Amino acid sequence: MRLRRIFSMAWENMKQRRLRAFLTTLGVVIGITAIIALASLGEGFRVSITQRMEQGFELDVLTVIPGSFLVGGIEKFNDTEVAKVREVSNISVATQVTRAPRSVILYNGDKNATALVVAGVNFTEFAGEVFPKRFRFEEGEMPEQIENDTLIIGYKVNHPNETEPAFVHPNDTVTMNTIVLNDTSQIFGSYNFTVTGTLEKTGTAGLTSFDYWVFISLETARNIYGNATDLIYVKVPDPELSESVAEGIEDLFPPYRITVVVPLAFIQQVNSILNMVEIFLTSIASIALLVAGIGIMNIMTVSVMERTREIGILKAVGAKSRTILTMFLAEAVLIGIVGSVIGVPTGYGIAHVLSYVITRFAAFQPGWFGDPEAERAAIAPIFSWSWVIIAVIFGIAICILFGLYPARKAAKLDPVEALRYE
Amino acid sequence: MTALLEAKGLKKTYRMGKVLVPALREITFDVADGEFVAVFGPSGSGKSTLLHLLGGLDRPDEGEISVDGISFSTLNDNDLAEVRLRKIGFVFQFFNLLPRLDALRNVELPLTLADLPEKESIKKAEDMLKLVGLEDRMSHRPSEMSGGEQQRVAIARALINDPKIVLADEPTGNLDTATGGEIVQLMKRLNKEKGQTFVVVTHDPAIAETADQILYLKDGMIQKTKKGRRRL
Repeated sequence: MRLRRIFSMAWENMKQRRLRAFLTTLGVVIGITAIIALASLGEGFRVSITQRMEQGFELDVLTVIPGSFLVGGIEKFNDTEVAKVREVSNISVATQVTRAPRSVILYNGDKNATALVVAGVNFTEFAGEVFPKRFRFEEGEMPEQIENDTLIIGYKVNHPNETEPAFVHPNDTVTMNTIVLNDTSQIFGSYNFTVTGTLEKTGTAGLTSFDYWVFISLETARNIYGNATDLIYVKVPDPELSESVAEGIEDLFPPYRITVVVPLAFIQQVNSILNMVEIFLTSIASIALLVAGIGIMNIMTVSVMERTREIGILKAVGAKSRTILTMFLAEAVLIGIVGSVIGVPTGYGIAHVLSYVITRFAAFQPGWFGDPEAERAAIAPIFSWSWVIIAVIFGIAICILFGLYPARKAAKLDPVEALRYE
Repeated sequence: MTALLEAKGLKKTYRMGKVLVPALREITFDVADGEFVAVFGPSGSGKSTLLHLLGGLDRPDEGEISVDGISFSTLNDNDLAEVRLRKIGFVFQFFNLLPRLDALRNVELPLTLADLPEKESIKKAEDMLKLVGLEDRMSHRPSEMSGGEQQRVAIARALINDPKIVLADEPTGNLDTATGGEIVQLMKRLNKEKGQTFVVVTHDPAIAETADQILYLKDGMIQKTKKGRRRL
C-alpha cells in the first residue's frame, strides 16, 4: 500500500478521534516547546556571556604577572627578564608596565580624586598597539610628543560621581600624592602632571578595565617607583597562538615564577561550562518529551485494542502485517510532526516571553542587578536550525519508538482471533 | 479439468485451556471453477474453521489447501496475505465493514491495498456498487445503512479484486428472511452472470437448494456430499 494513502488514512483516523489526538499531540507539543525554549534561551545566555567576555578581554593579549598564587613571594621583573620575554617567538609586541604600589590621590585645586592604579606605560606600544580599542578619548587626545608630565586619566577616576562635573579637563595640572617604596621604608612623594586626555568608559567586564587607572609615561614611573616591572602585556598576532606563546614565556622562567593569563583558555573554559549547562537544561526538557512518548504508547495500545476487529478485517481483506504496522506508525509519526510544527514556534515564543520577563524583573530589582547593566544583561533567545532539527527528529523518533510496541502488537494480531473480537 | 480449490485431509485442533477440541478431522473436497458450493451443518460442526482455512486466515494442523494452483503450505504469512488480496473475497455474517469509511471507501479498500491508482480504484468501486444495486448509497457509512445494504457493500468489496473464489460465512445469518433472500439472489446472479465461484457456509435451505455442491459437515467431518446439477 502506498505510503501517501497510509498517511491520509492515518490522518482521517486521527480526525475521527479529535480529542484523543489533540491530547496525545499536546504532550509532544509541550516536550518540543520545553526543549526549544530552554535550548534557545541557553544558547542566548551562552552567546551573551561569551560576547561580553570577548568585549572585556582582548583575546590576543596575554598578561604576564610575576609570582604565582600557588607559591606567593612576588618578585617583580627586572629588565633582563623583560628583554627575554620580548624575544619569544610569535609575538607581535610585548610591553611592560611599572605601577604605583598603592592607589593615589590626585588634586586639582580643591577637588580630589582617587586612582586605584597608576601605570607607567610606553604609550606607543601600550595604547597604540596592544590596547588600541581602549584608548578612546572623551576629551583631548594622545599627545604626539610624550613629556615627562603627561597624564591620561581613566573614566571612573575623572567621573567618580556621574552627576557631578568631570574632575579634570585636558591641560589642567594635577598634583599626585603617592607612596614610594624603597628598600627600607615608605616615603611620600608629590608630583605635578599635565592632563592631556580623558578616556571614555572601557567597560566593566574582564580583567583589563582601565576605568580606575591613570597613565603616565614609563620613564617617569621608573624615575618615581624604580626600575622593576610589574606586568608585561604580550600581544599575539592570532588568539589561536596564545597557548603556544604562553608556554614559550613560561619556559623562560623557573616554575611558579610567573603566571600567564590566557583569556582565550578562560573563555573556552567558560564556554564549555555553559555548553554543558545548555545540554543539561535541554536534557531536563527532554524528559517532558519522554513522558509524551509514554502517553502515545498508552493511547495507541488502547487504540489497537479498540480497533482489533478492524485490524482483523484489514487482514482478511489482504493487508500484510507490514501494512498494518506502517498504518499505526504513521499515526505516531503524524503526532510527532504536528507536535513539532506547533511546538517549535511555541517554544521560541515562550523563550521570548521569558527573556522579556527576566529582563524586566532584573531591571526593577534593587541592589546589585538594579542598574542599567540589567538592560545589557538581557538574554535574547537565539534561533538555531540545528536545535529545530534536533528537536523535530527527537520528537518524531520518540513517537516512532513508543508507537512501535503497539503497532507491532497490531501487526501481529491473529486475523481469526481479531475477527472474533467484540 | 483441474479443480479451482482443492482441500486434502484437513485437520485442525483448538486448544481451550488444557482441553484439545478437534474442530476438523480429515476434510477432503474439490471446488470447480464457477461452482456454487454450500457448506451445511449444525453449530460447532467446524464450518467457520473450514472457511478460515480455505481463505488462508488460519493454517491447518495437517492437510493441504490449494487455490488456483497455489499451495498454501508453501507460503509465508506475507504471501498468504497477498493470496487473500488477489484470489479470495470474504463475506461475513456481521458484514465486517470499516465503520469510519463510507461505502465507496470500504469497497475500494482492497484496491488501495493492491496499490491501484486512486482514480482508477474509485471508478472500479463505483461500478461494483452499481452492480450490487447501491449506486445511491456510495457516500453512506455502515451505520447509516440497513443490514442488507451493508451486506451488499461487503459483497462488492469481496468482488472488487476479481477474486477466483468468494468465501461467505453465513451471509444471511444476520438478516431477515426477505433481505436474506435478496442477498442470496444477488450471489446467485453473480455466480450465473460472471461465473463467480462461491463457497457459502449457511443454515439457509434456500441457498442449498440451488447449490452445485453441498457439503454436510458434522463433528468436523463431511457426512455426505451432494452434487447438484452443473448448470454450465
